[in-house]
Amino acid sequence: MVLGLLRHAVVTVSEIGKMVRRAGNKDIAYRQILLATVKWLFPVGQVRRRFFFSFTTLTFHVAVIVVPIFLAGHIALWKSGIGLSWPAISNGLADVLTITAVATAALLVVQRATARDSRALSRFSDYVLPVVIAVPFVSGFLVMHPVWNPFSYDATLFVHVMSGNVLLVLIPMTKLSHMALLPTTQLVSELAWHFPPDAGSKVGVDLGKEGQPI
Amino acid sequence: MLTREKYSYYVEPSALEVTDRPRKFLAAFAAVLEHSNYGAALDTYCRLSAKCARCAASCQLYEASLESRDIPCRRSDLLFRVYRRYFTQAGVVKARLFGGFTLTDEYLDEMAEEFYRCTACRRCKVTCPIGIDHGLITHLARWLLAEIDVIPKALLVSVREQLEGVGNTSAIPVPALKDTCEFLEEEFQDLYNVEIKFPFDVEGAEYVFFPAVSDYLLEADTLMGNAAVMHVTNGSWTIGTGNYDGINYGLFYSDRMMERIVNNVVAEVRRLRASKVLVGECGHATRSAWFIPTFAGLDAPPVVNCMEYAHQMLEAGKIPLKDTRIEERVTYHDPCNIARGGRITEEPREILRAICRDYVEMTPNRTRNYCCGGGGGTVSIDEIRSFRTGPMGKRKAEQIRATEAQVVVSPCANCKKQLREVCEDNELEDVEVVGLHDLLLKVIDFGTAESTATETHEEYQNREQPETGAVQSKIAE
Repeated sequence: MVLGLLRHAVVTVSEIGKMVRRAGNKDIAYRQILLATVKWLFPVGQVRRRFFFSFTTLTFHVAVIVVPIFLAGHIALWKSGIGLSWPAISNGLADVLTITAVATAALLVVQRATARDSRALSRFSDYVLPVVIAVPFVSGFLVMHPVWNPFSYDATLFVHVMSGNVLLVLIPMTKLSHMALLPTTQLVSELAWHFPPDAGSKVGVDLGKEGQPI
Repeated sequence: MLTREKYSYYVEPSALEVTDRPRKFLAAFAAVLEHSNYGAALDTYCRLSAKCARCAASCQLYEASLESRDIPCRRSDLLFRVYRRYFTQAGVVKARLFGGFTLTDEYLDEMAEEFYRCTACRRCKVTCPIGIDHGLITHLARWLLAEIDVIPKALLVSVREQLEGVGNTSAIPVPALKDTCEFLEEEFQDLYNVEIKFPFDVEGAEYVFFPAVSDYLLEADTLMGNAAVMHVTNGSWTIGTGNYDGINYGLFYSDRMMERIVNNVVAEVRRLRASKVLVGECGHATRSAWFIPTFAGLDAPPVVNCMEYAHQMLEAGKIPLKDTRIEERVTYHDPCNIARGGRITEEPREILRAICRDYVEMTPNRTRNYCCGGGGGTVSIDEIRSFRTGPMGKRKAEQIRATEAQVVVSPCANCKKQLREVCEDNELEDVEVVGLHDLLLKVIDFGTAESTATETHEEYQNREQPETGAVQSKIAE
């Protein structure tokens, strides 16, 4: 995952550099782009439109970001592995957020399937990804609460770790890569409108249409 | 043979004879990716598109038609599929191993139809969490289609006339242009007893004026308003007889044409040794002119929209106003090309609040406004009027109706034509659609007895004024 995302990040940054270099007009509205980027990184104000879907997806994102990073058990692993640690959330809050993540993942699938417009757009992967994301949360919850776990502890832990790994592999290969690339998308969109000064004529030359009547 | 058989719009007969289109389309795509900045955007969009359908909730066409083909994300995916299959490693490998999608003539025809159902208003971009600019994709797809000669005839013949014919999209020759302006000068004399000139080829003027050239045929009041503002503010301006057309349909279908048209504007400014471009009331002409630094580099002439100029002058107290105000209820339609990016939204409003007694807002407005329904050049395609004023214009008609305004101000030649048709076709016949300078003209105090006389809007409407027909017959002469 790390290498995959790193590759994406490096490629994107170099592409952005190339776009800026080639742009005829280098007067780029960075402030406006930054505002749009921040707006969509923290899209709390955008929930009104398509309220249920937006609320579900926002809650889902908060849960799936906070729990894996701030769970005390995970931080302990980081600490023993590479000696890094940071403040953790309480296990009670982690439980609530885990249940939220699973519930909202299920809701996302249901909402996607039941709304006419999103159903029309959806690919197979759009339905599968929320389910795949829910697996480590369900198994993680069972690992944390062995009393409620009908399966063996080791098997559950194995599923938890492996499903997490699958997810890490999937992140750079699917739309999940937005977790690394989202901060760049507004900039890329804007730069695409900053044409190289002679792109049109060069295309004309390439296609042998230079000087041809319209 | 009817060239409308294949698409909703007419194309040139030769367009139907093009062979080997998929290969030519892909060759054009490869050339565009090589020389332009679109590649990185396509890469990002193909990878990240989340298919969340928020764009559907913001598209006025989908809201009205409820056809899944009209969801912006689905339309853009038509081009993404081609890009993924032919221009990404994963797509090429996947096709080798499993076959699958192949670009066909039928697929190109589907694209040709769908990308002209979008006005590239970019409203969906504002609501896309990923920031996918579907207007950009429509813009690019239309260019690629143009390279296999799929171009609405209405747009093509205008550009041909502009670049290879008379020199402007309405084919108005210089003598006819001068005649029209003389006629308008006489109108100033008759109506306001004031001598106002339309200056031609004044070397060293500060501004060279580029309105939508169709204004000389259809929008006499707007032009008189422009001239009046320049007159009362002692503005240094001129109309260049080498190029007097701000219209740039290249923006709607081909970056190749756009580049040539923008360069012609710059050439005229330099020929006249002028310093700035003054764009008339036209949304896409303004946005095209904002591309001047792209093509002309660091010493590009600055671009000023006539509303920015008027606003600045009004603020500075240089536009004397009569005591009377516009009494009717007035509302303002934001042309997408100047408002979506938030560049010109407040200046016209401040002018209108200063000159109207009953100004009301449409909702939503500014960067979230609805398109008039004729954006992206579709307003010029007369044969799709029922689509433009039907599903595409429905939201706009509802918006106008909700304001209960008698006058809709829209500072854009395309929006005005479209809004008039929207009103005609949606039982809003009593609503009048005008430009901002049309209203400004009515309240400017020229210091003559005629211009300070108070009159109601109705009286103004009924009095003798330059009719479109009169201007056109002048040109015909």
